[in-house]
Amino acid sequence: MELTWELVAFLGFAVMTLGSGLMVVTSSNLFHSVLFLMTSLFGVAGLFVLLVAPFLAAIQVLVYIGAIAVLMLFVIMLTRQVMSRPELYNQQMAGALVAAAILFLALLFVLTPLADEIGGDVAQVNAEVIAEADDAPDVDYITVEELGRAFVTRNGFVLPFEVTSILLTAAMIGAIVVAREDEA
Amino acid sequence: MFEVPVFDDLNAWAALPIILLALGTSILLVADLFIPEDRKRLTASLALGGVTVSLVVAMLQALGVEIGEQGAAFADMFIADQFTYVVNVIALSSAFIGILVSYDYFERAEVKRGEYYSLLLFSTMGAMLMGASRNLVMIFVALELLSIPLYLLSAFRKPIAASEESALKYFLLGAFSSGFLVYGITLLYGATGTFDIDGIWTAAVEIIDGEISRQFTLIAGFGLVIVGLGFKVGAVPFHGWQPDVYQGAPTPVTAFMSVTAKTGGFAAMLRVLVAGIPVVVAEDIAMWQDTIQVIALLTLVLGNFVAIMQDELKRMLAYSSIAHAGYLLIAVAAGGTEGIGDQAAQSALIYLLAYTFTNIGAFAVVVAMEHVDYSGTKLNDLKGLSNTNPMLAAVMALFMFSLTGIPGTAGFVGKWFVFKAAIDADLVLLAVVGVLTSVVSAFYYLRVVVNMYMEPGTPETQPETPSLRWALGITAAGTLILGILPYFMTELAEGVTVALIR
Repeated sequence: MELTWELVAFLGFAVMTLGSGLMVVTSSNLFHSVLFLMTSLFGVAGLFVLLVAPFLAAIQVLVYIGAIAVLMLFVIMLTRQVMSRPELYNQQMAGALVAAAILFLALLFVLTPLADEIGGDVAQVNAEVIAEADDAPDVDYITVEELGRAFVTRNGFVLPFEVTSILLTAAMIGAIVVAREDEA
Repeated sequence: MFEVPVFDDLNAWAALPIILLALGTSILLVADLFIPEDRKRLTASLALGGVTVSLVVAMLQALGVEIGEQGAAFADMFIADQFTYVVNVIALSSAFIGILVSYDYFERAEVKRGEYYSLLLFSTMGAMLMGASRNLVMIFVALELLSIPLYLLSAFRKPIAASEESALKYFLLGAFSSGFLVYGITLLYGATGTFDIDGIWTAAVEIIDGEISRQFTLIAGFGLVIVGLGFKVGAVPFHGWQPDVYQGAPTPVTAFMSVTAKTGGFAAMLRVLVAGIPVVVAEDIAMWQDTIQVIALLTLVLGNFVAIMQDELKRMLAYSSIAHAGYLLIAVAAGGTEGIGDQAAQSALIYLLAYTFTNIGAFAVVVAMEHVDYSGTKLNDLKGLSNTNPMLAAVMALFMFSLTGIPGTAGFVGKWFVFKAAIDADLVLLAVVGVLTSVVSAFYYLRVVVNMYMEPGTPETQPETPSLRWALGITAAGTLILGILPYFMTELAEGVTVALIR
């Protein structure tokens, strides 16, 4: 296998994702776990970039690292008892290993052939496009603009988009109603 | 560049009832700001008005008046056919009666929040959209629009722990089940490359003859979608939340959600599963038909037998509601046999319409009995009701007869059509179990009647106010009229097809 910079980057991000993923479950300090989780998620974002999905990568950073992980940090810092635990909270290492092994086998034997079957051609084509595009900068991948267009054009997702806005309104109103103290 | 889509080329007129309801709800939200706390009756009236406008349009559509073209709308996201129209009528009727039941209850409990009615209407919109989706993305968004307001409505008696507990339980388990649904949708997209229900089934035909890994993905996808929707309708083994949530939520909310969540869930289930039958060859469909049969059997048996052991009215009705999900699942399972799909969908809609009136009515009686502090709803509290409040006892007896399925009531008509569909679909075992469990259910439903009429006692009831009286009147009349003259329902259901027209 030729050592290209993509391969190097992939290996880097893979090690980053898996290594810090392992640290998430083995670290005894919950605070450290979340920090490792952020690193792991960042590695996944890097993998998305390598897969020519810059939008997904950006969303990964914004939503998972920017919002969810930071929220977790807040929650952990607000609950002191969890912070000061000396040893590992979870004692079920053996069970976890078995579950992980089963999941790994499932991914290997179910999803990998599937990816070859329906994604194989696409990857091939993409690779060729990218190879040719070395001197032509406008590679044809899904951009934010296209996603935005899909939301509002008549052949796109205009109805789910509108319904989602109603849904968010309802959720927001509800959150306020439930969280508000009674004046009485 | 792109052109701005206009109403006509989206065929948006076909979705007029939903659009009107969305508009009305938005106006209601703003108007409520200017309505002082001691005049929230006005908010309720406005909400009723909005529902009525939408209901009239929905009825016209269901009765065959052409408002917008039948067929796909919003770029194949939405489908307007008789099925959609009837689901609209059912959802809007339950919203109408739900508002009537709610007003007095919250007035008595001194909860003066106008947002209640907006949330209730948002949820109704979700149920309507679920029946009209022909795309899995739409089904997911509609399911959330149905569910999230319901989680919030459950918490409306906030300082009471039972209400808070019920909302939290419903929210956590609901979020979990949404996760299952989304995962299932993702797998289906992975296997078929489309969100369109029709497209998925067309692709499924190829996949069934194709490679094994893709079949796994397809089956896992459908399985997870069934789990997600099964949770929403409270089918065993995904029913765990239901008794606690039904008992803890404010009674009018329970009344509304027991009907609306079922309407939405079953409408989507019929769309996703049964719509594929004309596309796929018969023998391969057995894949999901067997699954649904097993779930239906479990649901019927568990719901009916556990309901016997309850001594609390709301909790008993919760288990009874699980049992009724079982009867509806019989209809869904029947839809898996080739050529029965449309008949099964019709029977399910007839059942849902009958159930809407009967079940909200039964909960309205509970509202009339319940004290502000959630007490007074034990089965023993009903003893002697026929002496102190003969009218209330009489309508309660009617609802109980209808839930049992005694001829002359709407419940009988619903069950008759469902069992007929099952027999036509060669699912004799399912039909037999359905009939037998109905006999079992007579035990706990009639115990309510016995308590009211043959036991001594002087139960207290809440003073009945006009809106609750109206709610009881409408539901009782609906239960009786639909039971004696079922033509109205069969007329509506006539022409219901599940095939997705373009």
